[in-house]
Amino acid sequence: ADMTLKFQSSDPAGNPNFELQQGWAASVEERTGGKVAIELLPVTSIVAHNETQDAIAAGILDGHITDTSYFSGKDPAFGLIANPVGAWSSPQEMFDFMNDGGGSQLMNELLNPYGLQFIGATTPGLEAFVSKVPLNGVDDLQGLKMRAPEGLVQQVFAAAGAAPVNLPGSEVFTSLDKGVIDAADYSVFSTNAAQGMHDVATYPVYPGFHSMPLVEVSMNKAKWDSLDAETQAALSESVREFARSQVAALAARDVAAVEEAKAGGKVTVIDWPAEERAKFRTIAAGQWASVAERSTNAQHVYDVLTGYLTENGLMNQ
Amino acid sequence: MDLFGSFQSLGIETGTLTMFILLLVLLITGMPLAYVTLLVALIFALGWFGPQVVPLITSRVYSFVSSFVFVSVPMFVLMAAILDRSGIARDLFDAMKLIGGRLRGGVAIQTIAVAVILAAMSGIIGGEVVLLGLVALPQMLRLGYDKHLAIGVVCAGGALGTMVPPSIVLIIYGLTANVSIGDLFTAAFLPGLMLAGFYVIYILIRSYLNPSIAPIPEPNDTTTVEKLRLLKGLILPLCVVAGVLGSIYGGIASVTEASAVGVAGVILSTIVRREFSLSMLKGAALQSLRTVGMIVWIGIGASALVGVFNLMGGIKFVSALITGISDNPTVVLLFMMLILFVLGMFLDWVGIALLTMPIFVPVIIKLGYDPVWFGVLFAMNMQVSFLSPPFGPAAFYLKSVAPPDITLATIFRSLLPFICLQILAVAMLILFPGITGR
Amino acid sequence: MADDLDTKIEQAMGHHDDPGAIPEAGLLGKAIDKLGLIFALSLIVSMLILINEVVLRYVFNSPTIWAHETTIFICGMVFIYGGLYCVARDQHIRVVLIYDAVSDKWRRIMNIVISVVSALASLIFAWAAWLMVQRAAFSPDGAVRLERSGSAWDPVYPGLTKIGLFLILAVISLQFLVLAYNYTKGRK
Ligand code: NA
Ligand code: NA
Repeated sequence: ADMTLKFQSSDPAGNPNFELQQGWAASVEERTGGKVAIELLPVTSIVAHNETQDAIAAGILDGHITDTSYFSGKDPAFGLIANPVGAWSSPQEMFDFMNDGGGSQLMNELLNPYGLQFIGATTPGLEAFVSKVPLNGVDDLQGLKMRAPEGLVQQVFAAAGAAPVNLPGSEVFTSLDKGVIDAADYSVFSTNAAQGMHDVATYPVYPGFHSMPLVEVSMNKAKWDSLDAETQAALSESVREFARSQVAALAARDVAAVEEAKAGGKVTVIDWPAEERAKFRTIAAGQWASVAERSTNAQHVYDVLTGYLTENGLMNQ
Repeated sequence: MDLFGSFQSLGIETGTLTMFILLLVLLITGMPLAYVTLLVALIFALGWFGPQVVPLITSRVYSFVSSFVFVSVPMFVLMAAILDRSGIARDLFDAMKLIGGRLRGGVAIQTIAVAVILAAMSGIIGGEVVLLGLVALPQMLRLGYDKHLAIGVVCAGGALGTMVPPSIVLIIYGLTANVSIGDLFTAAFLPGLMLAGFYVIYILIRSYLNPSIAPIPEPNDTTTVEKLRLLKGLILPLCVVAGVLGSIYGGIASVTEASAVGVAGVILSTIVRREFSLSMLKGAALQSLRTVGMIVWIGIGASALVGVFNLMGGIKFVSALITGISDNPTVVLLFMMLILFVLGMFLDWVGIALLTMPIFVPVIIKLGYDPVWFGVLFAMNMQVSFLSPPFGPAAFYLKSVAPPDITLATIFRSLLPFICLQILAVAMLILFPGITGR
Repeated sequence: MADDLDTKIEQAMGHHDDPGAIPEAGLLGKAIDKLGLIFALSLIVSMLILINEVVLRYVFNSPTIWAHETTIFICGMVFIYGGLYCVARDQHIRVVLIYDAVSDKWRRIMNIVISVVSALASLIFAWAAWLMVQRAAFSPDGAVRLERSGSAWDPVYPGLTKIGLFLILAVISLQFLVLAYNYTKGRK
């Protein structure tokens, strides 16, 4: 290839997401007619998961495939657009916003000043909730000791009455196992199952109700600008196609894992009724506004997002 | 400038070799170890790329020091420092004399037993080696035990922290390989005890073949009152152990929080024993600052070096090396063991895990091996890396608290038989994977 | 003989004489050594924070949102400062196979070379950390905005840690220069 770009993923090497991302990386050389090749590196191989933005700007890395919420500390706007808890009921709704509803422009308004160019969005899908106790609705969240990651997700659960505990991913399993916490926001159903979460927390909520992270594919802006329009278009298109195939592949894995769990007899998969999901979404939307107050960019994200949702009849009040 | 980027003409093979030679040369000049790895990382960042890549190193330093998994390190070090300033540990070992006192090598075996208990409380090494070095080593030397045997027992026993669950090595492996950490813990339990068992058998064989290396303490007719007094020494330590283990397994605290519970327990014990004073606490805290500075900066250096090597294309290079060696899965596996062994001579386990796991695990799965079993095998390999020279963390931790006349050379010489036992344990895991229950 | 060994062990381990910074570290070394107390005591503070968190969560079912981030921050600063502390006290671990075997004169030369090289390396790291601070302390439009953690509590710890890392790396570099200077003069 004329140009080889080093991308770092926010997933570890053995993770199914990473394998799917490798498939995308391998396809780029052919799709760009040999102009661009991508070398994909697993999480923390060059820098930590939340340091890639700086590394790309400095020219150490060329790009990343990363959960945008990791940069909430740089600007709350990243946290709000990465995981507007309750906004999307399916990956396709988020992709529609990104591709045709102004989401991409919004991402570039946020990223360009940091020296990055947004290429496209993907997601592992709607996360499933891990729990040791049966949760049938919002009321069951009262006083629930649960792990939630930094940012909006934690805030929303606090607003819903839960007692969020700040634990790193590495402590989730042991803490659930020993009962330090009763529930956790972790990952999609199949990943939770593979890591044995359901062995110690037997009441997963699936499909999830709380979180669907935006995973951005973006790269160094100067390098992007040096590419011709045709190559840029090919890259963008490759990411769109990858996002569709990733969502399909992971959803299939989830369905298989749910079947397996149900057949095993030890795990009780709980599905929340529509009204409970709506209740949770209302609580979540109330928290978007409080994030919006934290920075001008966050306010901008809030305005664009709520405008889009209202226009498309997705705001449920 | 011409120099920047010029190393790339070496190619990754020669580049990697040059890196190892440079590490070795700088190590033996007596340069502080943390600076050896940091300097090699810097030289290659500049030589392979240029100044713009140096922030990669400081970024990794930042991420390393702000990682939650390492918070337990200062807690366990602090616990050791306070224990050492009280009479608790001495009383504990005195009391254990009553139990295994007439057995040849009894105190060494007690040390292994204490090490296993400590290992079940903590997921790291460092704290344990320091603790045993302060508590058990003087006891054995005082009784006239062979210096080499005593040192070996302390380092090998103290290193068990990452083999007996809970274990940071297994947690990091589980996250990288996407396998259940619970399965890893369960699978590592017997192999951990097996390794401790090897140490005990070795102590027994050595001390019965050559009684002079493990003298039996003077038989003194202890009265029942005296025995009861000695037994009283067991109460407080057992309370602390129960507090830590109880808070983990009772679901009261996370593994990291439990390390703080241990510190609080030890402080409470000193208050009960009327040994507590503010100057004692101050001394213990200052000693912890020193020990933590040493331990963490070694990890920092290793992490920086791995980041630079990966950017040089190290991941692709090592992958190709492994898959190219043979079509025979056993040969590939043994080659991986060899790589882990060689890396263990130069790098901290964090560095080795960061470097090799993303490469090894996908290959292992493709070859049809069980990734959980491989995780236990990896943890066992790291046991070797803790002891093997020239970069043997357990030896350095011990050196930091041992009497000045115990040199690093003496420590490494003492560790050789224990390294052989660890390699035997690795071989057992390969020959009989059933030990992991998989 | 056994008694002799016993005394030695007592001396090495029982009394914990605090030797402080080495003389070659100069006034700077003394200051670093004194300041160490604050960082050492903050280890005890983080222990108390963790215990407090366990009690609040387990007994009162109301975990804090600040405990874990605060202990990570404190320990991070202690880790970084611990490196500087060990430089001033010359307590970083080294492989002394050759170092101990050579004559005093050669050891002095080795000390000078090692200190100069380490000073230079630390200086370059401090420069790189400064680049990092520029992105962690200012937003792209140049306004002062410390990088936050992005959690629900959202403290400025990441920004502070990066600034701390920069400052301490700069002082490490300075300390190595002082060491090199004093080794050259053979000052004890
Ligand atoms: Na352990
Ligand atoms: Na080693």
